[in-house]
Amino acid sequence: MNASAALTQEQRVAQLAAMVGEEHTRHRGETAQTIQVAPGDIQQVAEILRFANANALSVMPSGGGTKLGWGNTLTADIELSMKNLNQLREHAWQDMTCTVQAGCTWTAMQDALKTHGQTVALDPLCPERATVGGIVACNDSGALRLKYGGLRDLIIGMTMMLADGTIAKSGGKVVKNVAGYDMHKLLTGSFGTLGVIAEVNFRLHPVEEHRHTWTAVGTGEIEAGSAASSVAEPLRALLDAQLTPTCVQLRVLGGECALDIRVAAPPECLGEYEKRIRNILGTLAIRESGEEIWNARQQLFDDNDALVLKVSVLPTEICPLAAELHQWTAADGTNLELVAQATGLMMVAVHSATDAALVALIERLRARVSKSGGSVVALQIPGRLRGSVDVWGPDRGAFSLMREIKRRFDPARILNPGRFVGNI
Amino acid sequence: MLRHGQIDELRTAVGADGLITGNSQLQTYECDALTNFRVMPDAVVLPRTAAQTQAVVRVCARDRIPLVSRGAGTGLSGGALPAAGGIVISLARMNRILEVDFANRQVVVEPGVINAHVTQRVAARGYFYAPDPSSQSVCTIGGNVAENAGGAHCLKYGFTTTHVLALDVVLPSGELVQLGAPTLDAPGYDLAGVFVGSEGTLGVATKITLRIVKRPEVVQTLLAAFDSIQAAGQTVSDVIASRMLPSAMEIMDELSIEAAEAAVHAHYPACKALLLVELDGPCSEVEELMRAVKELCRNNDASEIRIAQSEQERALVWKGRKAAFAAMGRISPNYIVQDGVIPRTALPLLLDEIEQLATAAGLRVANVFHAGDGNLHPLVLYDRAVARQEEKAVELSYRILRLCVDHGGSITGEHGVGKEKQEALGYMFAEPDLATMQLVRCAFDPEKIANPDKVFPRPRLCAEKPGPYTPHPLETAGIAEIF
Repeated sequence: MNASAALTQEQRVAQLAAMVGEEHTRHRGETAQTIQVAPGDIQQVAEILRFANANALSVMPSGGGTKLGWGNTLTADIELSMKNLNQLREHAWQDMTCTVQAGCTWTAMQDALKTHGQTVALDPLCPERATVGGIVACNDSGALRLKYGGLRDLIIGMTMMLADGTIAKSGGKVVKNVAGYDMHKLLTGSFGTLGVIAEVNFRLHPVEEHRHTWTAVGTGEIEAGSAASSVAEPLRALLDAQLTPTCVQLRVLGGECALDIRVAAPPECLGEYEKRIRNILGTLAIRESGEEIWNARQQLFDDNDALVLKVSVLPTEICPLAAELHQWTAADGTNLELVAQATGLMMVAVHSATDAALVALIERLRARVSKSGGSVVALQIPGRLRGSVDVWGPDRGAFSLMREIKRRFDPARILNPGRFVGNI
Repeated sequence: MLRHGQIDELRTAVGADGLITGNSQLQTYECDALTNFRVMPDAVVLPRTAAQTQAVVRVCARDRIPLVSRGAGTGLSGGALPAAGGIVISLARMNRILEVDFANRQVVVEPGVINAHVTQRVAARGYFYAPDPSSQSVCTIGGNVAENAGGAHCLKYGFTTTHVLALDVVLPSGELVQLGAPTLDAPGYDLAGVFVGSEGTLGVATKITLRIVKRPEVVQTLLAAFDSIQAAGQTVSDVIASRMLPSAMEIMDELSIEAAEAAVHAHYPACKALLLVELDGPCSEVEELMRAVKELCRNNDASEIRIAQSEQERALVWKGRKAAFAAMGRISPNYIVQDGVIPRTALPLLLDEIEQLATAAGLRVANVFHAGDGNLHPLVLYDRAVARQEEKAVELSYRILRLCVDHGGSITGEHGVGKEKQEALGYMFAEPDLATMQLVRCAFDPEKIANPDKVFPRPRLCAEKPGPYTPHPLETAGIAEIF
């Protein structure tokens, strides 16, 4: 017998309210099927998890709620909101590390770090609302990844809560550390299926004081793909040069196909940088751009009805693939926008296509990129298409090992069941 | 002991020339660079392909034969120490560089490829492989992956884990899987991230996709002499506070300088502490920043400041630093190399404490640091011929590691836990932390045949349940007294 059948919804609510207080316990959704609880400390999180585990109640950890639609659909019994665990607990600025609770918003953390001219060198989506825990669980990253790496390179330690309430730590507060397994890497990008992230330790970088952005506009038709092709060689040359740009992105948005390049250097050196960049970019028209250009990725999510895909390819494939995508969709009036980082991570938004065309596009794209080890994940799916789109894509051979890890961590499958790859 | 039938199966798997069972040949494999632990394996196999490796591991899996993978055996923590009654899988013959993709800045190598050979292969086109452990001219990529090897330049460029994109791994079950991908963020758990640094306990890597990095336009190396370690340490803090990220910052103390001078004649200035700062990047930027570094050195009363004027001079500066461990033989009959990490700011305090402990034990401790990232290598000097001195030296080296943990640091920054620091890992992590790591171990290797009895403080069976929940000792009482 399912243990959860033993408790009525009222009993669940009452028990949870006893743990965190009535004011922190709410029903969510029309059917009030999901109970939202917002614990105030780590011990309460552990208590909730033990309760859920003992009663086989599914738990969806949440932060700012900006990416709850990512992954397979899930209606959980309990939404575990981490929003009250939102403190920057420690900023050891001379050691350039910090410890922050999962519910802290990205912007709140960065604002505090900025007082010492430091930053976690990552630019995620929705920084004002998204929380550290949610960003880490979804492994989001933006244009800064080219220079600073992703979360896996910036996180040096973590406190995690397992399904049975165990509080475990990994890593530490020093950048260089090979003691024990890197459990924080396992939790990063695990979509809340292995444990609840309670605290994260980051290594910090200095805020780039003197930075400059240039935009080079591609030539030719966007729809025919020739615009994207025109920037392929400049992009290759740029990355092969002995320059160290902070960010480089291909942006096909708002009727423009362009390469954006950001450089940080002492003011005395910026002139020389510009000269060299202009040399590399050759005949392309170049203009200076504002910082807002680096939020282009965010704009792809503005249309709630758009399909947004995260496509990961080899860096050399960005421009050819962008060209192909436009050629594929030009005929049927589909509107396509994309922002691709020079690291090979590409976000593609598809508007105004038929359902069948969207599903077919994902399949065609998967077949195209898998040849060189690439992947396609459907991040934002129009509501009507949920259920008919394979969010994560096929097994590349390691799913059984991942399932075994899940089974060891969460034998009762209470943490975000079914949300992740292979219905983990 | 392996049975005849099992040995025959191993021979079938790797061929007669890939199997070693004779005692004198086996002796080569009885230890790694941590030579005070020695165990003779029953056999050593030298596969040439992933398929052969898989065939070997299948035999081990079926009969629960312990297996220890080994690269060049340069590890300093006993990670490649054989298990009694088990076999050693030497990956030395899987040493081909399979693919080089300059446009995507990746190479694909077999595990037996020597670290420095990767750079040699891509240097002509202006690229290099960044992780540079001091043993890079002999150590292998497979061993680097197992230990998550670092090096002097990981301050800027990151560790082995930063540079590994994908791995083919023979799991302890004998199954071959790919972890990670040549592209970023492959859907699923970051198993490549967990595998790197797992010290051979999760399987055997048979193919590795690495990133390569464009060589910087210019590299400048500065040497500054100081009257005290504190002044050198303060300079490091000042450099960091000025928002610079040098590619390397190293400090050597008086004893290390003396030893290095005796060994390789690096022409270091005579002083209490030597600071080495390396900057790299575009020419104009490096020049600008180096001016600032010199200024900071002067502010902290550096008695001498030199910039290496040629590639030859630069190589000599580094030769002295990289030879520091081996050079200790010049000033002490025996020594123990340790590998602690502390938050950078704790350095002056920790050095005082080390000094006090050393004085109390009647021993000398030389210190070499990767100062930028707080990784220190105390070298405890002793004489085995003197009664009880070895015991005292071992005890002192462990006490130093515990001090590192007490300062919020780690027991190892790049050498790994291996056989040497198992108990210290139990001082650094509480039982629930270790039990959580064991969940991963058991998912990969439920029979615990891959490098058994390493890393973790005590053997534990996969079916064994962790005890009931208790509050995390690190939270309630500072550092728990588990050791």
